[in-house]
Amino acid sequence: MVPIRAAVLAFTLLALCLLATNTSAAYYSCCHSHVKTRISFRAIKGYSVQTVTEMCPINAIIFLTSKGKVCTNPALKWVMDYVHLISNKAQKVHIKMSQATKPSHG
Amino acid sequence: HNWNSSGTCSDKHFHIVEQVLGLYVNSIICVLGFVGNCLVIVTYAFYKKTKSMTDVFLFNVAVADLLFVVSLPLIVYNEMSAWPMGPAACKLLRGSYSVNLYSGMLLLACISADRYVAIVKARRSFKLRSLPHSRLICAIVWAAAILLSVPTFYFYSCYEPSHVANVFMLDPLSEDNLTSWSPEYVCEFKFSDSGTAWRAKVAIPSTQLAVGFFLQLFIMIFCYTSIVFTLLRAKNYQRHKAVRVVLAVVVVFIGCHLPYNVTLLYDTASKFQHKSCKESDALQVAKTVTQTVAYLHCCLNPVLYVFIGAKFRNHFRRIIQDLWCLGKRYVAPRRFSRVTSDTYLSARRSVDGSSDNGSSFTM
Repeated sequence: MVPIRAAVLAFTLLALCLLATNTSAAYYSCCHSHVKTRISFRAIKGYSVQTVTEMCPINAIIFLTSKGKVCTNPALKWVMDYVHLISNKAQKVHIKMSQATKPSHG
Repeated sequence: HNWNSSGTCSDKHFHIVEQVLGLYVNSIICVLGFVGNCLVIVTYAFYKKTKSMTDVFLFNVAVADLLFVVSLPLIVYNEMSAWPMGPAACKLLRGSYSVNLYSGMLLLACISADRYVAIVKARRSFKLRSLPHSRLICAIVWAAAILLSVPTFYFYSCYEPSHVANVFMLDPLSEDNLTSWSPEYVCEFKFSDSGTAWRAKVAIPSTQLAVGFFLQLFIMIFCYTSIVFTLLRAKNYQRHKAVRVVLAVVVVFIGCHLPYNVTLLYDTASKFQHKSCKESDALQVAKTVTQTVAYLHCCLNPVLYVFIGAKFRNHFRRIIQDLWCLGKRYVAPRRFSRVTSDTYLSARRSVDGSSDNGSSFTM
């Protein structure tokens, strides 16, 4: 019964390795709906774009506000006006992997 | 947090369910599936001499299931952290998952059609159920499975989702609030334009539903209903056992695959609809749970199709005996055990190969 024992051993080790790794949120919080009301421009700190060409189900502009992330509809005029207002001043921040060590979802 | 109702979701339940199922249940499925399908493959490779059409199909199902249970822990491991094995592994693992799903399903359909021909169309069965035929059918099945998996292979890629990785900030220096954005690599669909995205996000799961489940379900129900009626008309004392085996095969197939495919159908139909966090979280949990139930099928296949036969149980008894003898004879003087067992295996293989018309090969 050598192969069976080896298989059991291998899978136990694998399971232990998985337990040991800091399992962070691999599933990305996509927007699943849009906010119904207009948000205040002063609260906005930045934005990012979510498109259906990647893993998410709907298109959205995600505004980063003092209260958190707000999903808005890019088909609405005020949303794109906000984006145009910000995009001149805003700078692209590419968050590096090193910053992403702590599991933050949930 | 009033924004949370229309903001991004935290998917709390999904993470707990994913971790528990991902670790414990999938580990059990992997071990059972690995052992069961290895036993089937070893039996066909070394012990069973006369091979029929059904044997060729069963061997191929075991190969598909084995490849599946080998890739499963790798997929689970990569999904739990930020896909550490990189872009090549992303395409290969997702692609092989899809190939094995399709080939496994199509081969099970072949087995039910083969049994239908053998029992219901018994007169014509000698012409149809030949060995070259079955090898040709298996080649077609694997080719079809690979063709059906080309879109999956092509559109899956390893990337940092841009809605998390590319953030435009008014004040880039105050990055405190960015810690909640944690970008990581994912192995998911990626398309060049949104037109392709809309079509492929519906077409790929729809193909999986149609070819990977409903086609097989209809073939199975048609073939096994005819088989059961033929068996019930026959005067054979073993017919009740056969009917029970057929029922078990159908019930296990439906029990394993129906919940997942219903969830997948709902998910595909409502893909681009807006959902609340509660809804999307519940759907993710339902998909993960039912998918695990569907995975269970690959460790039940050896039991349902192969171990149930009396001939196979005899073969297994011999495998266990052989392994035990092997262990007793060669593992005890540890130093040369590996070399001797290798030569032993190659010797055995050559003996098996030379005995064309099935002369016995005892130890």
